[in-house]
Amino acid sequence: MVKREEIVHAANLIKIGLDDHTKYIEQIEKILNYFDILDQASAESESFVTQEMSLDKLRDDKHVPYDEKLILQLKNYKGTFVKAPKMI
Amino acid sequence: MNLGITATQYLEQIKNGSLTVEEFISKTMERINKVETSVHAYISLNNDPISQAKQIDKKLKAKENVGSCLGMPISVKDNICTKGMKTTCASKMLENFVAPYDATVVTKLKSQDVIITGKTNLDEFAMGISTEFSYFGPSRNPWNIDYVPGGSSGGSAVSVSALECIASLGSDTGGSVRNPASFCSIVGLKPTYGLVSRYGLISYANSIEQVGPMARTVEDTAFILNIVSGIDQHDNTTIDKGQVDYTKELDVGVEGKRIGIISEMTGEGVDKQVAAATSKAISKLQTLGAECSEVSLDSVKYSVATYYTIAATEAGSNLARYDNIRYGFDFDVEGYEFNAYISKARKNFGPEVTRRMILGAFVPSAGYVGKYFLKALKVRSKIKSEIEQAFKKFDLLIAPTSPVLPFKIGEKVDDPLSLYLLDINTIVANLSGIPAISVPYEIANGLPIGMQFFANSMQEKTLLQAAYALEKTTSLPGAPI
Repeated sequence: MVKREEIVHAANLIKIGLDDHTKYIEQIEKILNYFDILDQASAESESFVTQEMSLDKLRDDKHVPYDEKLILQLKNYKGTFVKAPKMI
Repeated sequence: MNLGITATQYLEQIKNGSLTVEEFISKTMERINKVETSVHAYISLNNDPISQAKQIDKKLKAKENVGSCLGMPISVKDNICTKGMKTTCASKMLENFVAPYDATVVTKLKSQDVIITGKTNLDEFAMGISTEFSYFGPSRNPWNIDYVPGGSSGGSAVSVSALECIASLGSDTGGSVRNPASFCSIVGLKPTYGLVSRYGLISYANSIEQVGPMARTVEDTAFILNIVSGIDQHDNTTIDKGQVDYTKELDVGVEGKRIGIISEMTGEGVDKQVAAATSKAISKLQTLGAECSEVSLDSVKYSVATYYTIAATEAGSNLARYDNIRYGFDFDVEGYEFNAYISKARKNFGPEVTRRMILGAFVPSAGYVGKYFLKALKVRSKIKSEIEQAFKKFDLLIAPTSPVLPFKIGEKVDDPLSLYLLDINTIVANLSGIPAISVPYEIANGLPIGMQFFANSMQEKTLLQAAYALEKTTSLPGAPI
């Protein structure tokens, strides 16, 4: 059984505040309880492959200048800087 | 003018001069203006389609080279990047985002002289099955506007069904092309993973999603697939399709084809009317010479949990980029500490995205990764093995696209698990990478029912041929709107 504090912790890790979202916690508890069906799947002996990519298939490591228009997408772009919230 | 003509008919009429691109595009835009207040298929419209149409007409008149689509009006789901047009993903987070480049599928369409009518509505970031989770409000089913059109490519399906374009591009992560195709009585194809480039498709769950064509006929679907499929240097998961032409030999029929009826998708939990339509479809296929018999895919019962575990994990990673600094809406950073700012900005994600972000953080987290995420990857392997075994005995598999008929707007919106469970008939194709198609089969009490075929990887031609054969046994009316 998943504890509510653990769901809140996971939400905090991805910076989603749940202070006023009790409803979400209840819904996610219900969904996670349903996911317990995976325990019955008898798949322990199965292996899975992760996608591997040889280095020669990666794109060339070359500098491509940014299109000016791309920079204009930034909402907090001031002059030649991106304005970000303070870190400390 | 009949806006309900197929792509093939459109091309014939443009070529023989009985129709101009400008006439057809003008009427299409008039139609959009007339029905949009009822169905809300589009988030944004092309602001200058008439001049584009005039240019193509001019080229045609001068006998200059024109792409194979001859100005055909096509809509594009709003999670596929279109240069110079907004690409919002139906999210406040991307409310004003104008894509600086075209997705490869859009480049390919434009190279064939398509006119993009506009960007279609979806569940926010393609997460949903009803298009109710759009920041811009739900789309409505042209068969009955009190009902959902399915999702997440609901706007695309509506635009095709309500004659607001000839065809559309959607994206299918767990059934998002096929489900709305079924609910709106059009054709929708989820290609083999890798057959169509994902470059420029805004990422949700990279290992399972594909762009897919949606149209009013199987032939039109094949026509669009011909254009958008194939290898792309910008997406190294794409596969070389060779010299295949999906529009050729569509009418070879299903005689002698071995078709497996998936027990877990046709029995318990399937609406009575859907089950009856499925039985009728199978009888029709048998009449056409197909050999149909039951096949059990035991792991289907674990597929919903497997799918949502994997999709949420990938979504959690992909959506981490939305911090309102690189992309976002007007919300000044002044006075905020970094974490508090991002947390506050992310409160503007809608409910379904919020749920999946939290799930996506939880299921691969320390202490739970073995129980959920790694287990889901193992079950996914098991599902793939079962599918491989099934295709040793069968050429195709069949099941209804959705276990239920379209439901009323608002009916299930507060019960996410009940919505997730409705994906059970579609997600196996995504988890295993195989192609699947939904084809309209029946209208029951005014609401559409679609049948779904699955084929082995890269067997789109076989898939389209079966769908074409079934389509030819029906004679369904257009949407009443």
